[in-house]
Amino acid sequence: MNPYLAGILLGIVLLTAMVVSGRGLGASGGYKYCVVSIVGAVDPPHVENSEYYSKYFENGKKPLTNWLTLEIFGVVAGGLISGAVSGRLKLKVEKSPKISVTRRLIFAFLGGVLFVYGGQLARGCTSGAALSGMAVLSLAGFVTMIAIFGSAYVFAWIFRKNWI
Amino acid sequence: MAPLSSYFAFPEWLNMLTAFLIGIGFGFALEQAGFSSSRKLAGMFYGYDTTVIKVFFTAAIVALIGSQFLSYFGLLNLNQVYVNEFYVTASIVGGVIMGAGFIMGGFCPGTGLCAMSIGKIDAMAFVAGGFAGAFLFTETYPLIEGMANARYKGPVKINESLGLSPGLFTLIMVAAAVAMFWIAELAEKKFARPEITNDLK
Amino acid sequence: MIIRKEFSVLLLLLSLILALLPLTANRSFTAKPDKLLSDVLNEDASFTVDQVAEFIIREDNTVQLIDLRLPEEFRKQAIPGAVNIPYPEFVTKDPEIWLGNKNVRNIFYSAGDIESDYALVYARGLGYDNSYVMAGGVTEWIRTVMETKFTGDRITARENALFETRRRAGEMFTELNNLPDSLKMKFLESKKFSAKKLDGGCE
Repeated sequence: MNPYLAGILLGIVLLTAMVVSGRGLGASGGYKYCVVSIVGAVDPPHVENSEYYSKYFENGKKPLTNWLTLEIFGVVAGGLISGAVSGRLKLKVEKSPKISVTRRLIFAFLGGVLFVYGGQLARGCTSGAALSGMAVLSLAGFVTMIAIFGSAYVFAWIFRKNWI
Repeated sequence: MAPLSSYFAFPEWLNMLTAFLIGIGFGFALEQAGFSSSRKLAGMFYGYDTTVIKVFFTAAIVALIGSQFLSYFGLLNLNQVYVNEFYVTASIVGGVIMGAGFIMGGFCPGTGLCAMSIGKIDAMAFVAGGFAGAFLFTETYPLIEGMANARYKGPVKINESLGLSPGLFTLIMVAAAVAMFWIAELAEKKFARPEITNDLK
Repeated sequence: MIIRKEFSVLLLLLSLILALLPLTANRSFTAKPDKLLSDVLNEDASFTVDQVAEFIIREDNTVQLIDLRLPEEFRKQAIPGAVNIPYPEFVTKDPEIWLGNKNVRNIFYSAGDIESDYALVYARGLGYDNSYVMAGGVTEWIRTVMETKFTGDRITARENALFETRRRAGEMFTELNNLPDSLKMKFLESKKFSAKKLDGGCE
């Protein structure tokens, strides 16, 4: 799909979120809620002892029913629908032919660890802070976006062998 | 009157349903943009594919302009829409870490999910890493708690800190974005790598 | 198909319109006149001093007392838990910061009824339905709560409960207002408005 058209579509989805739920989109937070609810199910005493975990369960709240958690489930479903409609459903490892599958998977895993960790620290990832933040003119959003893209360009030179 | 969830008390199931539906729209748009491909996303940083900047800024601007017009016509109360809170240190440090994660993983959390759903195994590794990263954060939070909460400035809006009206800032941002779209086109020509872009079709 | 040039021009035009419009999210009167009048005249919009005394001794934090008198009067005597927003300031600034939290009921009071009633109409007119008054103001509070006396031979359970509430609220009132000035100001100022908690971000 033409990038500008896709951008308009994404913008409309974001606007819908603002109009219906008074908030923007998000992704890394959803990962966190999933992890928190799993920890809560597997090891409740740990949750009670931890100041950080317990605030997700106070007042009977369940992290699994949080807006963000449901939203990321929707993202998976939406991607699946789009892939099915466009004939892009295919099990494969996407990588540069110059590196091995293992190397790609290791870097993908590490990338995930860093991204969600950083996202929780910055209270938003590219969707939650940068995209949604810019749409509400939040200074935090702009700063986070510049930090992400700026550092990615710097690291790009270091990791160029993985991609080009 | 909007946001609907502020003016009409949503029962929990409705809140969950709308989140799910919006997520579907989000995932659909991301995948349609081609963001389920890590090589396409990484291309932004090597110049051969600048789709990221086009989609990103178009989306932000559409939502920005749309919400301001809705606010002007009294249809949306912008005071009830969440504005990200600014913690100076955490925003910058987190952003730098995310930048590294972006280049190493080739995804962001949202695109990783929609890529995973169409069968990309590297995306599955990314998402698994994402859960590990979230777990790492929640377990080690007390160590970085001080830094994470340092220099809190509240939900500051960028136009307020620059002393501009929202509309004027929007205009400047649109002008900057349009300039970036043009530069992106030039970059794609200059840094073209047809061996990769043909693969991505 | 979206062509870059036309698309960019469209965006620039739209944002130009936005830049030129007077778009400072100004608060405007949203209430319909007849509904507004019936709302403020309705006794649901008004709390008695006894009801307020109940809130105070229960330390109910879904309720926020707003003292509309001038700072000097507030410093001399204030109802425990109240914040001071002098009336002239209240009606000139954007009240969103004080009234924006929809989960909190704001109860205005002044020396008598006049300013609190004006504030009620003003706030409700702008759409803040979480606005109420304490009928009678400080005058009524002193008369009823502080100077409450039991007369007669027998006391019913209800009257007893009422008397108890008034007595305890009165005690809190006296205690607060007899604090040395420095402590009192610290206590009064510690009552900050908590920013309304909106959901959002990736947190």
